[in-house]
Amino acid sequence: MSTSAPATSAPRKPMPSALKFDLHTKCSTTKARASTLHLPHGSVPLPIFMPVATQASLKGLTYDQLKQTGCMLCLNNTYHLGLKPGQAVLDEVGGAHKLQGWDRNILTDSGGFQMVSLLKLATVTEDGVRFLSPHDGTPMLLTPEHSISLQNSIGSDIIMQLDDVIATTSPDHARIEEAMERSVRWLDRCIDAHKYPERQNLFCIIQGGLDLELRRKCCAEMVARDTPGIAIGGLSGGEAKEEFCKVVDTCTGLLPDQKPRYVMGVGYPEDLIVGVALGADMFDCVWPTRTARFGNAVVPSGTLNLRNHTFAQDFRPVQEGCTCTICRPKDQGGLGVTRAYLHHIAAKETVGAHLLTIHNVHYLLSLMGAARQAILEDRFPAFLREFFSKLYGEKSKYPEWVVGALRGVGVDLMED
Amino acid sequence: MGSDASQRPPNDMVNFGLLNSATASTLAPRLGKLAIAGRNAILTPHYIPLTSRGTVPHIAHDVMREQTAISGLYFGLEDFIEKLQKKGCPPVYKTPAAPNESPLRNFVCLPEDPVLVLGPRRVPPLACPASNTPNSIAVLTTVGFAQLETGQYVEAVQKMRPDIAVGLADLVLTHRPGTKRQGKMVDRTHAFTTYSTEQLYGDAVSEENRSKTAYFAPILPLDNAQQTLYLEDLEDELRRYISGLALYESASLSVVPESLGDLPRLLFSEPATPHDILREVSLGADLLTIPFLGDTSDAGMALDFVFPPPSDAPATEPKPLAIDLWAPTFTTDTAPLQEACQCYTCRNHHRAYIHHLLSAKEMLAWSLLHLHNLHTMDSFFAKIRESIEQGTFESDVQRFQRTYAPQLPEKTGEGPRVRGYQAPSRGPNEPRRNPRAYGRLDIIEKFAESQSSVATPDTGAEGLEEHGFAKKLSS
Repeated sequence: MSTSAPATSAPRKPMPSALKFDLHTKCSTTKARASTLHLPHGSVPLPIFMPVATQASLKGLTYDQLKQTGCMLCLNNTYHLGLKPGQAVLDEVGGAHKLQGWDRNILTDSGGFQMVSLLKLATVTEDGVRFLSPHDGTPMLLTPEHSISLQNSIGSDIIMQLDDVIATTSPDHARIEEAMERSVRWLDRCIDAHKYPERQNLFCIIQGGLDLELRRKCCAEMVARDTPGIAIGGLSGGEAKEEFCKVVDTCTGLLPDQKPRYVMGVGYPEDLIVGVALGADMFDCVWPTRTARFGNAVVPSGTLNLRNHTFAQDFRPVQEGCTCTICRPKDQGGLGVTRAYLHHIAAKETVGAHLLTIHNVHYLLSLMGAARQAILEDRFPAFLREFFSKLYGEKSKYPEWVVGALRGVGVDLMED
Repeated sequence: MGSDASQRPPNDMVNFGLLNSATASTLAPRLGKLAIAGRNAILTPHYIPLTSRGTVPHIAHDVMREQTAISGLYFGLEDFIEKLQKKGCPPVYKTPAAPNESPLRNFVCLPEDPVLVLGPRRVPPLACPASNTPNSIAVLTTVGFAQLETGQYVEAVQKMRPDIAVGLADLVLTHRPGTKRQGKMVDRTHAFTTYSTEQLYGDAVSEENRSKTAYFAPILPLDNAQQTLYLEDLEDELRRYISGLALYESASLSVVPESLGDLPRLLFSEPATPHDILREVSLGADLLTIPFLGDTSDAGMALDFVFPPPSDAPATEPKPLAIDLWAPTFTTDTAPLQEACQCYTCRNHHRAYIHHLLSAKEMLAWSLLHLHNLHTMDSFFAKIRESIEQGTFESDVQRFQRTYAPQLPEKTGEGPRVRGYQAPSRGPNEPRRNPRAYGRLDIIEKFAESQSSVATPDTGAEGLEEHGFAKKLSS
């Protein structure tokens, strides 16, 4: 096995693309972009939030309900689908779209993240991820080829390379560098193993921890491999937000304009909005759907814990003026669901989770839609001011990392 | 007031008409139409879906609106009144509502068309440790047991304004009551009914304050002779107040006096199979409640029967009434749950997906199954009405009995999480209903797993390799 650093000039398999990326406009102040991503199962307006249907189901929602939130692209987890229903079933049924009855786009991760973060004694070698089978202790190996083969069976519109994931907070610099370089080598193996580049888009994943020099190096290597899209990985692991912003800012500065940029595992509204300002296009996170199941609604001012007794007699909609099916009044074709009723069923009836999940997914999708509109109309800085003012109220409550990150792209939230 | 009082109930919002000639006889299948001003008309025989805390379990409101044909719903007051005993009143009483609107309907965020039926208890009710008293019945709220007094129930009906209220009855759930207790049941129920109707519709109540809710008077699950006095009163003094009857066992259908024969009969008999439903319809039931419908969905099963049965060809073996989607045979089966079924689930999904959702413990499994099962039951009742109309009901029932198995299949898989208000406590040290999901917190990885909601492989090395997930290392 080769451990030498990858050479950017090495001849490699040409990388067809199954997507078309239309960059409409860039914000004249920040690095924000508005674009449209044309994928095999429909066009996706970017920037976008992608809800996570981990096991081929978005937490109780029918796919028609998911469509009504405006979702054009959702995630499935390779790790979970690899175990249930498994590759043989996926092959026989004809892939994940046919399994779950979803005719819009699917993105799958590589499965490596779950392996490394959850399994006992997982060690990463040049071959792949070695781990002990949790049932019988047998040594096992997950390789880039396994991951791509599974994602080929799933048939997702965007597939992710297997990368060498380590916590960004790791103190071992040599290991971070090794992981970055290995991720590049594994990308080459993924490209070689990828059977359907004409209908599935392989995205590379930029690694390098919080070391901006490593990130720069990784960007150069990955960009040279010309994958249809590019992800920034290894974040959302508990690093300081300032570091997160620096990494995203550095990477987007080096990435080509004409490719979509996906920041993995990021989902708080303020993270998404800052991420957009720093030039990222795609985000995913389980938080909005998970927090819904705990009885929390995401609204412009933060989150409402509807299990709190203060909502028992609150007959207002979850969010005044929200256009989701849940909040819209009955006379406008909505359901007119009240906070009091959600308080009555939250965390008790599955319907409570369904209704809040619809609202939360719709909230994040429409937030991204509003950001996109603002970029198109070149008033994104004003959008930023309004968003953070609604979220935090007084300027004194604005987090320093937000103010700092936005100053870096030319918007000073502290100014009036 | 007196026997010469108008026979017309004070409530002209409700109209029940019998449509077939067999109606004179009590013990015969009957066709009817229940019309309530401003609501869907319900053609009977039909069933009233049950709710839990104001929802049809697993069916979100938009799905109900768009993908079901639900025309009426049953609510148990005990799902709404945990605060009754404490300071303040239940939030449902405070729901904003115009004079012609129902605060119950607004609280549970339902549209105008379905008929809302309110009873004191969930269906089926869980037995409470305390007994009923002369002026209250024992109920189980989400925060524990309580006594619901007659006056409180009347207040609930007045405040919540359902379309139909099922009257309080003194029922014994735990055992067959003795003779003395049976006498008490009749006396108390008689008193409950007299009091409640007087409070809701009596002459002392001013015209504008009279309840618009239709009152369904309970008939006790006892012999005719034991409740003669009560029944006579229903026929006479109370007749003008009552718009329907609530029955607790199918045998009560033969107890209903001739002169109350034109009232709709709502049955809480807990049928166990479609065969039971057919028997109850043949005895003259109009509206039924069917707890096994939700149980079947929770068990991961899809009802699989049609009425009348498809062909006369005598099957060698009786057909099962439902298929168990937990069965591994469905792993790659891309057929709909039921051939030619037009329900949302069968139009959009296949057995392999439902099987996957069940084994992945995804909530959507129960939503999709319940949609199918509701639809199956809708078709079942539509065909029952058609069969009665065509006069082929009796022979169709016989063929149905010959074609299908006498019982639903045994449950094999795990259901959704069961809440305290949904299942009875069987006393101290009762076994777990579902296996422990978490708890091995001494192992750090397991703790991380439980916190992250990410599953770890549910299979050994062979399985992982077979699933193409990883390969075994020879070393």
